[in-house]
Amino acid sequence: MTLWRRAAAAILLTATGAAVGAAASLSFTSGTLGAATTATPRCTAAALTVFQNLSAGTVISVTVGVLPAACGGATLLVTVNNGATNASGSAAVPGGGGSLTVTLGSALAVSVSEQTDLVLVGP
Amino acid sequence: MKRIVGAVLAGLMTFGLVFGLAASLNLTSDSLGSATTVVAACQATAMNATYTSTYTAGAPGPGYTVGTVTITGLAATCYSKPYKVTLGGAAGASLGEATGTTPAAGTTIVVTFAPVIAATSVTAISVVISG
Repeated sequence: MTLWRRAAAAILLTATGAAVGAAASLSFTSGTLGAATTATPRCTAAALTVFQNLSAGTVISVTVGVLPAACGGATLLVTVNNGATNASGSAAVPGGGGSLTVTLGSALAVSVSEQTDLVLVGP
Repeated sequence: MKRIVGAVLAGLMTFGLVFGLAASLNLTSDSLGSATTVVAACQATAMNATYTSTYTAGAPGPGYTVGTVTITGLAATCYSKPYKVTLGGAAGASLGEATGTTPAAGTTIVVTFAPVIAATSVTAISVVISG
């Protein structure tokens, strides 16, 4: 074996050693992970006035008052339940708030005990 | 010349081997590898949640409930990834959780909660997207 071949063999051995050394490091990647929590705010915590508008022994609409401007643009959903059945309606709250009358989808017979539910969705 | 070079190399190797043996200790090691990588979110832009409320005469009503939450603002980088959406109530309590996979197109995730959740109880929403 010539001197040059010996030198080449030495270089090869050195390179192999370096490669083995590099194999000790770890290599990994990570998937994405994103999370967030946010409050579901109310446009008002103040009391609202609720009046049922009657016609011939039935509830035909509901007027909700004292709506603040912060609720402007929201959708007001109202349902009246007379214990036997219920009727619902919805309307958009004016930009400045105030009072809003929601007409029910069907007239509801007045009963001894009724429950009126409402929800403001958005804006 | 070749003999001289050969002799010099043999001498160096011998001394190197002797010095190496004199300085070495018998030592083994467990493996140790480490690396650090960033855990990033699939998008940085904001998303927005809206609620669909319906009247439910039965439990948890009678009253308005949330059965669907629509999340808008989804970026393409978050397509086809597992998600969880949780509606929270008082003191951070979980009211319900919905899981699924984000769509492969569009900007909207429609999340359905079953059973439905009383709207009056919902005070927070949490979303996590991974993968």
